Amino acid sequence: MTDHEAVFEAVRRGMIPAYIYNDSKLFALECDRIFSRAWVLVGHESEIPQEGDYVVRRVLNDSFIITRDSKGDIRAMFNMCLHRGMQVCRAEMGNASNFRCPYHGWSYRNDGRIIGLPFHGEAYGGEHGFKKRGQTLLPAPNLASYNGLIFISMDPGAEPLDQYLGDFTFYLDFYTRQSKAGLEVRGPQRWRIKANWKIGPENFAGDMYHTPQTHTSVVEIGLFREPKAEKRKDGATYWADKGGGTTYKLPPGDFRERMRYVGYTDDMIDRIKEVWTPDQQRLVGDDGFMISAASCFPNMSMVHNWPKVEDGENVLPFISFRMWQPISEHETEVYSWFAVDAEAPEEYKKNSYKAYLMCFGSTGMFEQDDVENWVSLTNSAAGSMARRLQLNSRMGLLEDDTPVCKHLGPQVFHGPGVAQIGYNEANQRALLRLWADYLEQPAVSTQAMRLGTGMDGIPPLIQTSCVDASTMTADRQVTRA
Amino acid sequence: MSTAGTDRVVGFRRAGRGGTYSEQAVLGGHAPRDHRVGDSLPFDDERHLVAHRFLVDEAYLLDAQAYEEWLELLTDDVHYVMPVRVTTALGAGFDSSPGMAHFDENKYSLSRRVARFLTEHAWTEDPPSRLRHYVTNVRTFATEKDDHLIVESAELLFRSRGDVNEAALVSCGREDLLRFEDRWKVARRTIFIDESVIRMQNLAIFL
Repeated sequence: MTDHEAVFEAVRRGMIPAYIYNDSKLFALECDRIFSRAWVLVGHESEIPQEGDYVVRRVLNDSFIITRDSKGDIRAMFNMCLHRGMQVCRAEMGNASNFRCPYHGWSYRNDGRIIGLPFHGEAYGGEHGFKKRGQTLLPAPNLASYNGLIFISMDPGAEPLDQYLGDFTFYLDFYTRQSKAGLEVRGPQRWRIKANWKIGPENFAGDMYHTPQTHTSVVEIGLFREPKAEKRKDGATYWADKGGGTTYKLPPGDFRERMRYVGYTDDMIDRIKEVWTPDQQRLVGDDGFMISAASCFPNMSMVHNWPKVEDGENVLPFISFRMWQPISEHETEVYSWFAVDAEAPEEYKKNSYKAYLMCFGSTGMFEQDDVENWVSLTNSAAGSMARRLQLNSRMGLLEDDTPVCKHLGPQVFHGPGVAQIGYNEANQRALLRLWADYLEQPAVSTQAMRLGTGMDGIPPLIQTSCVDASTMTADRQVTRA
Repeated sequence: MSTAGTDRVVGFRRAGRGGTYSEQAVLGGHAPRDHRVGDSLPFDDERHLVAHRFLVDEAYLLDAQAYEEWLELLTDDVHYVMPVRVTTALGAGFDSSPGMAHFDENKYSLSRRVARFLTEHAWTEDPPSRLRHYVTNVRTFATEKDDHLIVESAELLFRSRGDVNEAALVSCGREDLLRFEDRWKVARRTIFIDESVIRMQNLAIFL
């Protein structure tokens, strides 16, 4: 640890040793201390809407099958056969009531329980030799969802997801809760970039400063109604517990007028008003801020923007979320999903999807220029000069740490956490402070898990959110009791 | 020699959930629906020669990033779609991500992409990539209309950026509907990428 103390101390001052973006020792430490503990996004419940639907997702190198069983419960099971360790599922998605290991034919129900073990009697002496009853694939150490977003923590003793997210859920709701029905999510697009995994989350969390420069071309071709990308400096940035993000300042108007301004239709605004709290509505209606990009520690980001999708003046919002999956200190796999309110009209869904494709994701015109920067940064961070350079991430702070712009009071910014108007790097600093805090904690123990305790399969997902799905779960639990 | 059953082999009809990838695409409602009739045309058939020449000429435009000229090779009602491939079990009946694509474009969205490259601020292509589109395995099919042809090809894109960055490759199969307006143009292109996880930093290129 000692050799990293200076790094953490510098990071906390807002001076970033450049090599942290391409260093194998720090990467190993990140795997050991961040991804062994933090809640990591793996998908959305709407990706597996039907009984038997599954997707396979990884946390670092650990592959999990995320299934919905016949009762509608969602589970995440480690994709490794109890016998010889073969992957029991080699597809990325599909529908199955059970998974059969191709090696020796052990098979498992989609709630994790072993249901088939060839020659159980002859080879093991039946239950006396190998207790098949109640044996399950290993469950993910911790599994929970918020507004349908599914997270895994590799720490069996992890704090509950809603406590982990903290006040960031106030902002997460804008993206994930636009009606009682919740989100319909499509994708992900997946691609690998030769960039360190921390750069994307930092950028989405608070980098309004890069928009006028990096994304000039997107403004020049008329994709945005606002003629100047530098409009971004009028927006507020906020940080609340595990996440933070950026906003745009909207023209004068009430809640409905401002929602219309970014392209929401009246029927959508009506549904939104039913689910956003009074303070969430005031942030838009009274304060005039519309959420844009955001990140949640360690590797989830969100984006909400409103481009034109055809000639004319009309703009239309889209929502996307993503996971920056670390592959190595200099490579990241991006998972990028498109999301839309499940109750939105079909025509709106189509146009919103088109807006997403044009702006973000593997072909998005914003994204293209971002990644070019991040690859270049990662390359430069590998050498010895990068060990001598501390990048200045102190924007928004005077030398004595006084903020350049005052924090916004609760009467002008109705969200929790700390917010300020104007260009600053407060959110990037907040993210890297969490990074340093996690790296200083001891690693989570990975001692062997006890098997054979799952007579009902492995424990299902815990929903921590307020969307109607939570009441559905309660119903299911009653049925199961 | 018969080439019956080629739809299955090529994969353009293996989308599951009924129909072609273009038909299933979220934004493919406007796309022309002409389809192939019969076996592939002999390689000395005039129509095959025309289609093959078209693809090779187009590849040179894409290599040179002559995108304004390239855009003129697309009909106004073009549908340009690249589904997201997913690994599924053999019997799953689908092999692309439902409701998601990398490209699902019409002429307007393609024109914005081209316009962006013509600004002085599209950093991802400044300095420009060195591109080579290798086009091979070309075969041509008639349709029910004389002025429409279906042409299939395999394509390998080599892309090199900077001096020492590792080059990236994209392999795909394509099915194009060509239509003769004052010249041959692409009215529908389905790009069937051969990777689920793309090993290229972005798709700021055309295939």
